[in-house]
Amino acid sequence: MKGIFSVLVENKDGVLSQIAGLFSRRGFNIDSLAVGETDKHDISSMTIVSTADQRTIDQIEKHLNKKLDVIKVRRLEEAKAVSLEMMLIKVSYTAQTRSSLIELCSVMGAKIMHISAKSIMIEIHNTPDVVREFLELLKSFGILEVQRTGTISMAKG
Amino acid sequence: MNGAQAMVECLKAEGVTKIFGIPGVAIAPFYEALYENRQQIEHVLVRQEQAAGHAASGYARITRKPAVCVTSSGPGATNLITALATANADSIPLIAITGQVDSSLLGHDVFQEADMRGATESFVKYSYLVKNVNDIPRIFREAFHVASTGRTGPVLIDIPCDVQRMELSKAFSYPEEIRMRGYKPSVMGNGQQMTKVIAAINRAKRPLICAGGGVILGNGEEVIRAFCEKNRIPLVSTMMGIGTVAKAHPLYFGMLGNNGKPYANKAVANADLLMIVGARVADRAVPKPEKLERRLTVIHIDIDSAEIGKMLGPTIPLVGDIRHIFGALLDAQIHVDTKEWLEELENFKHTTVDHRVFSDRLVNPMTLVQTLSEKMDDDAVYVADVGQNQLWSADNYVMKNGRFLTTGGMGTMGYSIPAAIGAKLAEPSRQVVAVCGDGAFQMSMFELATIAVNKVAVKILVLRNEYLGLVREHQEKVYEGHYSGVQLYAYPHFDKLAGAYDMAYFHSDSNDTLEEELDRFLACPKAAIMVCDIDSANNTK
Repeated sequence: MKGIFSVLVENKDGVLSQIAGLFSRRGFNIDSLAVGETDKHDISSMTIVSTADQRTIDQIEKHLNKKLDVIKVRRLEEAKAVSLEMMLIKVSYTAQTRSSLIELCSVMGAKIMHISAKSIMIEIHNTPDVVREFLELLKSFGILEVQRTGTISMAKG
Repeated sequence: MNGAQAMVECLKAEGVTKIFGIPGVAIAPFYEALYENRQQIEHVLVRQEQAAGHAASGYARITRKPAVCVTSSGPGATNLITALATANADSIPLIAITGQVDSSLLGHDVFQEADMRGATESFVKYSYLVKNVNDIPRIFREAFHVASTGRTGPVLIDIPCDVQRMELSKAFSYPEEIRMRGYKPSVMGNGQQMTKVIAAINRAKRPLICAGGGVILGNGEEVIRAFCEKNRIPLVSTMMGIGTVAKAHPLYFGMLGNNGKPYANKAVANADLLMIVGARVADRAVPKPEKLERRLTVIHIDIDSAEIGKMLGPTIPLVGDIRHIFGALLDAQIHVDTKEWLEELENFKHTTVDHRVFSDRLVNPMTLVQTLSEKMDDDAVYVADVGQNQLWSADNYVMKNGRFLTTGGMGTMGYSIPAAIGAKLAEPSRQVVAVCGDGAFQMSMFELATIAVNKVAVKILVLRNEYLGLVREHQEKVYEGHYSGVQLYAYPHFDKLAGAYDMAYFHSDSNDTLEEELDRFLACPKAAIMVCDIDSANNTK
């Protein structure tokens, strides 16, 4: 199953490495990890997505809670949260593929950020599933570079 | 007041009167402040930093308060890491103060720089790198609080040399209040869960308590004893839980697990309700937790919620402090009739036949541990090292009203001698005996100097079989007797070593002289080494 954790942490040095270390040390898997400051400069927010069995997901939550620099852990249910991811992707094109590429971008709601003689840089922000699908669709064009932010999530209501 | 003086003031405010360590340039300002306060805080100079950690561990376990160890930066600090890992695995509250290079040089790989926060991340409960001298009072207050509450454990304070020298910008004051928004251990135990626990006990026909090290760390021996006696509920213990009740207690059915009593394991196998209290359900105690989970009702009580469900999914989890929980359980309406169950357990106990065969050459290690612990004072401290000696000790130790200290979590060889020093310095009037093999002895034998200089009247009993015995046993059973790198031979000459450090020396090489020599060894008023020769053919199983 998928575990989405929204974690508020103290915004100070060493906290990210503590959290990352916790996952590596205990063999927990990280699908994605996104960190940023909140409206309070001394608190950062992390969204951590992990795939594991139920017991491991429970353990992750408990171990996150155990960290002294973790202020709050919320486990988000996929259906009851909004999850978004942003991706920048550079794809090569030819005269033959150019128009179908632009069409695909328009269908998927992706934006063209830059065009050079041989490549197009595209931006998409959407749910993690759509971003993943879009990435798959672009494979046939020839992907040159990918940058993803990782998922950020927020509970509805 | 400078940072170093503030550090000492913090220790005084916490009531610290003894610390263990080795100085160096990076911690020199602190030692200068310590010099000014030498009437209030005694510094015990050990001979290697790991021993500072283990000695502090022994001290903490006897005083039941956090104990302090101090090292310099770089190698001094890294030498301490094994002791921190040991304390962390056994949940012993320590405050480790390590000197660090000047803050302006951090990250430049200068002489004796080691990233201690990074290196100890998984071996401490929490750590600090002090960058602002004015944070010292707050950090020390928090460190002692964190070390001694919730699931206790070691806390590291790494402090650059220049921060120790800097002046505080305001007058020193030790904060009363602690504001840590990410740290609020659950103590009381959830009310609904408590109701479920009480109902489960009332339903049980064959209830059993398994007491772990957390019972002792949580000062819960008395309340759990009272609960068992009131409701006639039997208990077994893990290795770290030895000492919850006396061995002769009619409700006690021994240590469980791989190295435990067969009748303790039989009790677990036949129970219909198992209450695991302050235990990790670790592999040595419960080899196949998934089997338990399927078969019986498991109540898992621990202060650390992350321990619950780690190895097995309990039927009823309950997070909280043992004294609160068992205090409430003691007052609860519980009616269980365990008469038949207790008779059955007694029967298991009396019909269990020990099939192990011991050599009739030299000293029988089982007889040795039994005789020694029977002869020791009622409230004596027995510190078992790691290896065959630990397993023979746990198996045969006769607990009266004393303490059984060992490292069941990390299993660090060489623990017993420095831990015994710490225990003895905590309560000099108590009899303290370290029991170790000749292998473990040599991992801490430099501490004989600490014993001699400080006139620490500890007793060291060495089981000499000239092997790293437990590995030898493993190689015999698993690797067809291919003994690889395990033979120690007849060194050192223990009599000469005792002489070199002004210690008394005793020796026994037969069961016939054992009692007499043990009497002399225990009666000796000063520090002493006693060597008992054991046939290396003796195994633990």
